[in-house]
Amino acid sequence: MSSVRTVLLIAGREVRQRLRSKLFVWTTVVLSVLMVGASLIPTLISAFAPGDDVADIDRGAMVVASVGELDEARVAAVTSQLGPVEFEIVDDEAAATALLDDRDSEVELAIVTGERVLVAADTGPFGGPNQGRARSVAEALALVDLLEAAGAAEVADEVLALTPLPVDVVGAVDPAEEVAGMLVANIGVVFIFGLLMFYASMIVNGIIEEKGSRVVELLVEAVPVRQLMSGKVLGMGTIAVGQALTIFLPGLIVLLAANRAILPPGLGGQVAMTAVWFVLGYSFYALLCAGLGALVSRPEEAQAVLTPVTTLALLGYFIGFAAIQAPDATWAVIAGWLPPTAPFVMLVRQAIGDPSLLELAGSLIVLIVGIFAAATVAARIYEGGILRVGARVRFREAWRSRTI
Amino acid sequence: MLEFHDLHRSFGDVVALDGLSFTVAPGELCGFLGPNGSGKTTAMRCAVGVTQPDAGSVTWQGGPIDLAVRRRTGYMPEERGLYPKMRVHEQLVYLGRLHEMSAADAAASATHWIDRLGLAERADSAVEELSLGNQQRVQLAVALVHDPELLVLDEPFSGLDPIATDVMSEVLLERARAGVAVVFSSHQLDLVEGLCETVAVISRGRLVLGGEVAELKAGGGRRLRVEVDGGTAWTRSLGSDVEVVAVDHGGATVLLPPGADAGPVLDAARRHGRLLDVHLEQPRLSELFRDAVGNGEVELDDQLRFRSAVRP
Repeated sequence: MSSVRTVLLIAGREVRQRLRSKLFVWTTVVLSVLMVGASLIPTLISAFAPGDDVADIDRGAMVVASVGELDEARVAAVTSQLGPVEFEIVDDEAAATALLDDRDSEVELAIVTGERVLVAADTGPFGGPNQGRARSVAEALALVDLLEAAGAAEVADEVLALTPLPVDVVGAVDPAEEVAGMLVANIGVVFIFGLLMFYASMIVNGIIEEKGSRVVELLVEAVPVRQLMSGKVLGMGTIAVGQALTIFLPGLIVLLAANRAILPPGLGGQVAMTAVWFVLGYSFYALLCAGLGALVSRPEEAQAVLTPVTTLALLGYFIGFAAIQAPDATWAVIAGWLPPTAPFVMLVRQAIGDPSLLELAGSLIVLIVGIFAAATVAARIYEGGILRVGARVRFREAWRSRTI
Repeated sequence: MLEFHDLHRSFGDVVALDGLSFTVAPGELCGFLGPNGSGKTTAMRCAVGVTQPDAGSVTWQGGPIDLAVRRRTGYMPEERGLYPKMRVHEQLVYLGRLHEMSAADAAASATHWIDRLGLAERADSAVEELSLGNQQRVQLAVALVHDPELLVLDEPFSGLDPIATDVMSEVLLERARAGVAVVFSSHQLDLVEGLCETVAVISRGRLVLGGEVAELKAGGGRRLRVEVDGGTAWTRSLGSDVEVVAVDHGGATVLLPPGADAGPVLDAARRHGRLLDVHLEQPRLSELFRDAVGNGEVELDDQLRFRSAVRP
């Protein structure tokens, strides 16, 4: 019997046992339905929204209070910055301030000629648009003051109407693709970390169950340890990818059917590469977890024994997240060459950075070599620990002595 | 031929096997005996490749116990092990297929053994729902499902009721007659004596007694049981070449040296009183076992077993 058949047989059992769990099936179905529902929301909103409201929101003339009437040049300076303006003349600064404070008043700015521009305090973390408007009005008025003092009031109109030199953006970056990249980088890192840790822990539970129920002795008699572990990792991986597809694919299809333009271009390829990095990262971590899982006999001990691997994955997760800010920084490039961090970092670099082909291919190869190394290490730990039932087996002990 | 050749295996400071050698031929039903901690389980694990010896080898038909051989071997581990939530039939099919069977063959064979072992009504039950006795039957079915040419069973009779014991004995005999080499460990010496042609007795990881049961019993010397009206004082007048094996309220059993005549013993007894009963008897296997192993060693081995972190 070929080793492939054995691996498939073991993987098949994992898949069947998982599918037999009603909780698992129903959770997946419910999530899938929720995703379909969520993907219908944009379509429903546009179906029930009454016409082109967005354009109508455009406001009429802005109301600006002025202490005393403004001269022509200053009115021109204000309108050059604000567009059509309705002036409300007040007697003094106190009256202007009172108007700005009054919630019922429409006054948004007040001008005290030659002294200052007043603006109501805006709420919100980033302030409001009026503070920016006030600044540009103040600049325009100061410019008029300056030109008058220099005896060049007649050019004030031209200066205010000044057309800046054109600015051209050079390069082929499609802003829409940039959106896809950011989307994939942000969601992908969280997604593969969560899925990877979840399914790696499922594998560990399976191994502890086999060890606890002693069926493992029958298995190691008929199946080489590496094939046994590979089968379990493959089976769980199939479940993971299958579950992700079941949850997201129907929603995606509905979304595409309803409104193709809603998805940024280039998303498909990015998602496919996310899947590749997930499968590789998952294999690396799942194998290590499988090996370490053989050291304990009870599920409640698993957490402690897996800590080194969980920490490593967490590190990769954080570095991947940090790389979103600087995808091509030296440290991100280095992290891309290391198997534990590569799945997270390379996912981000590929989505929004600019990795060379050498870096991409090299990282893939190093990661695959890392997976084989992880399998070897894991098999050795597994062989040292799997037949010792009872107290937790220490790593060094399992590494040195074999029970198989 | 299954051949254990000079096996050595230690777990830390604990020596589990210390030069064990013996053989089991195809068609032979061999009882593998020894006190607790004498190395039986380790030896059997070596025979199915679950444990590697430090030195020495186990061979089947002259070749090493490789994966191909292991897949033609039926194994019942000391610690019973099945997937608790998997159904009986499904479990047998799965393990059969891991032993190289096709899906169809595995299904047919699983059904056969489920019927044969009286589990037909529980075929679709999860193993954890079965009684311990029935789980043990499933465990035997797992060892048999792929029609192995070598059966290695670690204490298959422990925990069985008399009816299940009969079924187990029947199946093992039947397999041996079909040409399978069967080796099983047990502490039920009387059962082994009735069932097995051959035994291998080990102590402290070494063979201390082995061969055909009938020969061993005959080689143990002829025993003469004599009951005399008036006590057993006559045994004190026997020559030094005659060993008194047992003295009880009814009479005495003496061991005759090979080739010796029973006459002098009978004369001594008759001088003492009227003969009530005289017959020759063979030693029980349990007696041979105790002689070979010795009580002191049993206790020592029990201590070793407790100290051992690994189950050797």
